Amino acid sequence: MPDAAQPSQTVLLHRALYMQQAIKEAAETFADFASFAITRQGPHYAVAIADIDAEADGDVVAEFCNFALFNTMQKKRRKVQAVA
Amino acid sequence: MTQTTGTATQHTIETCNAATSTVTLALEMGLYPTEVLYGAAYIFIDRAFVLLDKDEGQGRIGRWLVHLRGKTPLDDQQLRALSGEFGNELLSQALRRKIVKQNQKLIEEITTQAIAGAAGGTLPTDFLATDDDGMDFLDDPLGIAVPWEEKFKKKKDEPAPEAKP
Repeated sequence: MPDAAQPSQTVLLHRALYMQQAIKEAAETFADFASFAITRQGPHYAVAIADIDAEADGDVVAEFCNFALFNTMQKKRRKVQAVA
Repeated sequence: MTQTTGTATQHTIETCNAATSTVTLALEMGLYPTEVLYGAAYIFIDRAFVLLDKDEGQGRIGRWLVHLRGKTPLDDQQLRALSGEFGNELLSQALRRKIVKQNQKLIEEITTQAIAGAAGGTLPTDFLATDDDGMDFLDDPLGIAVPWEEKFKKKKDEPAPEAKP
């Protein structure tokens, strides 16, 4: 789990569990509070998060992870519904 | 390391750190499909920061790793309670999934009947055009689209109706 105190961090999101598009959308949501760079690193998406706004209310990195997960769930559910 | 074992479930607390309010659970991949994992994570997303990961496991069955961090500071006992609740939610999601799978046909049938009933007994097949009436969607044979003012406009030479006493 990412540490809130770090000014820049890298989060590893497993490709089997997180969708790239979902991560991108989460990054767009938090673009005002930090800068995000998404790369592939083995079985993970490595999200380098820099320039984290120190004055932002709450934990930007952890909230970003929650958003990426929520977006993934939504997208996967839509995919299943479309198939059905 | 604490191990919680149920009749149909097994989850292990890998790490529990009250200083950072984090707890990491390890779940057997064979027991929990991703939909179940997502379902449980969704329930906890408003109470905790959730990060999912996969431990591929060399020479053994892979595991899901669930990292939970409380949105408010949590002590050791609260973290263990949180992980227990997550385990319960996993079970609940797994059961829900099983029931839905078992009753899929019945659910679909009831839903179709309900929709057909709401549509006045009209079935989707009724909307399939069998014969073309040669009309465009802009055609208005009944004059429904004509504004009221135009329809009931007085003609200039038409006398005004007499007022009743």
